[in-house]
Amino acid sequence: MDLAFTPEEQAFREEIRAWVRANLPADISHKVHNALRLTRDDMQRWAKILGKKGWLGHGWPKEFGGPGWNAVQKHLFEEECALAGAPRVVPFGPVMVAPVIMAFGTPEQQKRFLPGIASGEVWWSQGYSEPGSGSDLASVKCRAERQGDKYIVNGQKTWTTLGQYGEWIFCLVRTSNEGKPQTGISFLLVDMKSPGVTVRPIVLLDGEAEVNEVWFDNVEVPAENLIGEENKGWTYAKHLLSHERTNIADVNRAKRELERLKRIAKAEGVYEDPRFRDEIAKLEVDVVALEMLVLRVLSAEKSGKNSLDIAGLLKIRGSEIQQRYSELMMLAAGPFSLPLIEEAMEAGWQGDFPGGLAGDAPLASTYFNLRKTTIYGGSNEVQRNIVSQVVLG
Amino acid sequence: MDFDFTDDQEQLRDAVRKWVDKGYGFERRRGIAKAGGFSREAYGQIAELGLTGLYIPEADGGLGMGPVEGMVVMEELGRGIVLEPFAQALIAGALLSGYAPAALKAAWLPKIASGEALVVLAHQERAARYDFEKCQATATAAGDAWTLDGIKSIVPAGDQAEALIVPAMAKGKLALFLVERTAAGVATRGYGTQDGGRAAELTLKNAAASLLTLDGLTALAHAVDIGIAATCAEAVGVMDKTLAITVEYMNTRKQFGVAISSFQALRHRVADMKMQLELARSMSYYASLKLNAPADERRRALARAKYQLGVSMRFVGQQAVQLHGGIGVTDEYIVSHYFKKLTQLEMSFGDTLHHLGEVSSRMQDTAGVFA
Repeated sequence: MDLAFTPEEQAFREEIRAWVRANLPADISHKVHNALRLTRDDMQRWAKILGKKGWLGHGWPKEFGGPGWNAVQKHLFEEECALAGAPRVVPFGPVMVAPVIMAFGTPEQQKRFLPGIASGEVWWSQGYSEPGSGSDLASVKCRAERQGDKYIVNGQKTWTTLGQYGEWIFCLVRTSNEGKPQTGISFLLVDMKSPGVTVRPIVLLDGEAEVNEVWFDNVEVPAENLIGEENKGWTYAKHLLSHERTNIADVNRAKRELERLKRIAKAEGVYEDPRFRDEIAKLEVDVVALEMLVLRVLSAEKSGKNSLDIAGLLKIRGSEIQQRYSELMMLAAGPFSLPLIEEAMEAGWQGDFPGGLAGDAPLASTYFNLRKTTIYGGSNEVQRNIVSQVVLG
Repeated sequence: MDFDFTDDQEQLRDAVRKWVDKGYGFERRRGIAKAGGFSREAYGQIAELGLTGLYIPEADGGLGMGPVEGMVVMEELGRGIVLEPFAQALIAGALLSGYAPAALKAAWLPKIASGEALVVLAHQERAARYDFEKCQATATAAGDAWTLDGIKSIVPAGDQAEALIVPAMAKGKLALFLVERTAAGVATRGYGTQDGGRAAELTLKNAAASLLTLDGLTALAHAVDIGIAATCAEAVGVMDKTLAITVEYMNTRKQFGVAISSFQALRHRVADMKMQLELARSMSYYASLKLNAPADERRRALARAKYQLGVSMRFVGQQAVQLHGGIGVTDEYIVSHYFKKLTQLEMSFGDTLHHLGEVSSRMQDTAGVFA
């Protein structure tokens, strides 16, 4: 047992740190460090910088043009990016669909889709949830009927994150009603410019259109866009969910935001108030404990000696921590988090924020926004079902 | 960064587990608790496994092992809620080998390692609570000899120990001394503790003492942190077994015609217990792996760990009793004994609010495992 990273891992970290410092645009990290609004262009710019270096698909094996890093190296890369204030990589292409295409796609599909994902040129979206299929994903109804060399897709997807920018979408579609719900699902790649695809933004409680409804009305999809076999989509979807297990805990971002919380508490004059300070101290322990949990999972993956089936715990704890720091940031500002001044959430705003601290502008909005974390990706209640299944049988 | 145990550590774990399973069953434990809460025979068996010399160099008759081995042993003793205060052997072994003059080492280390001598830390005073820097006991020098005056409370198996390590103020500065229990001026009043174990009130009146170190603060802070790491590991073992007992009960007990493990409200409670257990295990690793870090870093880490363990212990213990229902609050059934052990461990070496205060006052701008 050893808490310290090896000298090789340390050197790797230094290399990543230096590269990120030199290549992450300052205007983007400024926005991230202050929770200001990121545009599509901001996210794309960073994705393409990573893509050019070959690190957008940083979890990819070498045979597909990735760096071939192990679990620890991936973690160090993500940590250095997060602490430097890089935006989160939009995961739908490089983290979610790419591993499925690598594992189950044909060589033609790999040649066709992977380069655009690796470079950051093509924006992918996720077509999983439906109005009637939230945590119960296997109940999807969006239908794909085979007609000759194409599928005709009809139905609706929802909660499609950043789908308004999407160029391609990977969908779970129903191709059969026989047997268990899981057995009639297929994994289909759809060009969002196809006739019959309509994207409608859903405005969330913080006023932002972060997610969308996506409608499919007799959309023609070439059969060559089917991944693997028909009716085997559930297996592929599970493969996707098993990837990047530690990623969902987002502990690196939590560390960055804990530092920001301390800065905010100091600026607001509550850092020396024992009642408030103790709440930060509790969160600090929560973050350290989560980091240890993540490191244990990484160590187990690295050595392959013992497997830790605690992915559900990581999701529950990580999301609770995200909500807690946003809550404490808002409470630190107190009533000064209440003015809703949209322009103040844009970088470069020079106005006079009520109370005098422009940094207060996005605090409540972020708090509202992060209520999603215990709901998405399998609600925390579903995660508790999974954990209790492991413990109780 | 590596959290795998070596083969030797796994063997150590197996050896301790075997002894606990075969040699320290619930009935034997109950007998020991009834007879006063400490068995010299059981302590001797732990010593026969070589465990009492774990932190003592091989040259002094010990095994010369480190914090991870200490953690492994404590976890296993925790699983069996062993009453004998084994953590004290770790503390005394480390304190004497790290800080004592050669003569004192030579006199006591081999005897601690062999189990012939139980040496325990007697640092708690009524007015100081967990603040070990506050001390009312005093030390007086006469040539090379020292005498101590003062009262120490809740000394683990204090009336059974051969010697006690006692902090006292020497010329305004905290120093550590070794006091033989049978020396003139030493009185102990033993009593049982809530977990079934044993402690004593120690009264020193002009009692002869040997100087362990004049840098008492450094040594005592280290001793307390060794105690915290041991307590964290012990608690992980207790919680691990507590959860296992609860799971077994829930899968057996039927109400409304079905096993109570089928009720979602209860299943989610179990998921939360598993969460607290794994957070606790993670922080116990953290505590042991930071035990040899520079003092400031070590103190911050150990306070974080004990805070997490305190939260986890209270939750797991209370929920285990609740999920058992009526049988959970009986003396006859085993789970209440695990609950009481967890409760006692929460208040050993600083409780949860105390350590929250420590974390809070030691916060820096950055945070994380490596900060």
